[in-house]
Amino acid sequence: MPRDRIDALSDEALLAFYAGGDAAAARELTARLVPRALGYAGRLLGDRAEAEDVAQEAMLRLWRAAPGWRAGEAQVSTWLYRVVTNLCTDRLRRRQRRGPVGLDADAPEVADGAAGPEDGLIEADRMAALDRALAALPERQRQALVLRHIEGLSNPEIAAVMDIGVEAVESLTARAKRALAALLAGQRGALGYGEA
Amino acid sequence: MQDRDGIDDLFALARERRMVPSEALVARVLADAAAEQPKARPEVAGGVAGGAVLMPVPLRARGGWLARLAGVFGGFGGLAGVGGAALAGVVLGFAQPAQVTDFTDVVTYSILGGEAAALDLMPTTDSLMAEE
Repeated sequence: MPRDRIDALSDEALLAFYAGGDAAAARELTARLVPRALGYAGRLLGDRAEAEDVAQEAMLRLWRAAPGWRAGEAQVSTWLYRVVTNLCTDRLRRRQRRGPVGLDADAPEVADGAAGPEDGLIEADRMAALDRALAALPERQRQALVLRHIEGLSNPEIAAVMDIGVEAVESLTARAKRALAALLAGQRGALGYGEA
Repeated sequence: MQDRDGIDDLFALARERRMVPSEALVARVLADAAAEQPKARPEVAGGVAGGAVLMPVPLRARGGWLARLAGVFGGFGGLAGVGGAALAGVVLGFAQPAQVTDFTDVVTYSILGGEAAALDLMPTTDSLMAEE
């Protein structure tokens, strides 16, 4: 099958092919979904190793759910984000029981961009500032904000992931963005904007 | 709305600098997928890859002749029961315990009134002819 035909298949169709024994469908789903699961888990947890474990566990649950997947009931990506959210929540609660962990050492590792070394350092500082601010937000606000503004989900999709209404999502993201702005206000130097 | 705080710029940067899955992670995920994947069904033969035709994997025959024989009797439990009963019959036939011969004598005399010394379960054609 040509590459463009694989690209045209929905996640759900690929999952059905996987459930029918097709290995190429598993490879395509992995290529599509693992970066999203990993990126989201990384923003929530601030730790790459833990985010990788969560992404693998979430995909394992997807493979196991494939044979019984009911068409049209849920988007595959939305289902996966929900699983990742729950797995991250469990890990964050376990982490809280163990005691606070410094986030500076656990800032997410990110892909190398095309920027030069100096620009890269500035960008890394800005990302570290963002991660610190995100980590300081209440858990639900952080989830909503990352899903909306970094993962690019629509409000109805976020509502499905978080199991709340669309209006609640709008309220949550608005409050989260205001709180983030307040947290970042004290770090404008690190963000590269200088003092206003 | 103007992004006075530069937050939207930060989000855009975060989208550009997402974590990239390591090869090891992808390999682990694909290994899980292979381990959990159901066997190919005929209706999806050809699949996404198209060229490779996935044939349904035949069910492997389990066990040898003994397993198939046990299957006839509903499993090894049933086979053991039938075998035990057959062995008991052979033992009783050879040993003729006193309790068994006493019991058969009582039955024989109660049915035939003590006139017959033995009950012929397989009468010959001669005995049938003699009755007429």
